[in-house]
Amino acid sequence: MAFRLWRKAVLMTLREKKIFTVFTLIYTSLIFLTSLFIELSITGEIGNIAGYFVAIFFGVSLFLSLLYSWIIVSRNRRTWATLKCIGYTNKDINSLVTGKIFFTTLIGFIIVIEILFHYTAIIGYLKSADINLGIRTVLIGLGPVIVTFAIFVVVQLIAIILANRRIYKVRPIIALKKVGE
Amino acid sequence: MPVDKDTMIEAIDVNKEYRRAGAIIRALADVNVTIKSGEFVIVQGPTGCGKSTLLNVLSGLDLPDSGRIIFDGENIARATEDRLSRIRRQKIGFVFQDFNLVPTLTCIENVEALLWPTVLREKEIENRAIAALRDVNLLERKDHYPVQMSGGEKQRCGLARAIIHRPRVILADEPTGNLDPASEKDVMDLLKQINKDMETTVIVVTHRGSLSSYADKVVRMEKGAIVNIK
Repeated sequence: MAFRLWRKAVLMTLREKKIFTVFTLIYTSLIFLTSLFIELSITGEIGNIAGYFVAIFFGVSLFLSLLYSWIIVSRNRRTWATLKCIGYTNKDINSLVTGKIFFTTLIGFIIVIEILFHYTAIIGYLKSADINLGIRTVLIGLGPVIVTFAIFVVVQLIAIILANRRIYKVRPIIALKKVGE
Repeated sequence: MPVDKDTMIEAIDVNKEYRRAGAIIRALADVNVTIKSGEFVIVQGPTGCGKSTLLNVLSGLDLPDSGRIIFDGENIARATEDRLSRIRRQKIGFVFQDFNLVPTLTCIENVEALLWPTVLREKEIENRAIAALRDVNLLERKDHYPVQMSGGEKQRCGLARAIIHRPRVILADEPTGNLDPASEKDVMDLLKQINKDMETTVIVVTHRGSLSSYADKVVRMEKGAIVNIK
């Protein structure tokens, strides 16, 4: 049952093209940059500043995830209220919201993995061919990617918990109010 | 108190007050009404007379301050939120003035959505949705999004969603409020047909006196009280 609701959440997310595209691209960039700066902080190539950047990206990720969950709940308040009216429990709606949030992050990760393959291939080629472009070239290891994944899972869990709390506050009676009332 | 087996919903000494801008508004004042199984009831009255509040408490969307709501033999004024959700999913179909279709779902998906949180198989849900859309003469529009449908079609889609689970009661809040006269007749005729064919109890809240001809019983309200039942 929850699995079906997650699948329907994916369907609904894909049809909200603008929001889905914008947030997926932002997550992709953040995941890539966080992985890169974790790698830099491990190798110590640019000193302590890499750690600060990781902290900044964590903060930005947290802010954007909370923003995304807020958008999902607030923009669709009438939809959630209607679903409550027709018999959805809070748990059912939470399954839809959780599915939407996780799916967007997951797609961001899949895109990052794809980008990392190409990035690694390019950097590997530049190093093996001894081509110097005058910029610092860093290979991103598996470790920083896994750490970034863990960070994003934590951030998304916080967003989901807050979204679920907001869902409890949506009263079904809102669905019966006239539009604009 | 024993309940007549023909009684679908019974409101007993129901009171409801709202606080708005510091003032107390008595939305329901000692309301007593009995709705029998299979009846077509129209609740009428001027704006702000409490008819929508009555609909809300009869369906468990809002709780009365005092009194009892006996829905199909169960006092729902004391039911938990989860229990109320289940009652609504199994026994009540809602029709809204503003249609309230999910914009990112097609017509058939909007109808199916009611059964997504159930254990029914996808194919069974689809078959039921197709049957419901056929009942409201909207099958040819099943793959259209709400934005591609007219007001009348949206309301028929809402009607199909309200009947997909074969509810005991359909509650309609100003279902023709946003419709032209032709669509209004279509929707009211469909509600009457569902009432007859499926023996579903239908409760329509409206301020339009012209719809009284569809009703077995007309409940007239004023200032939160029922002033006339005929």
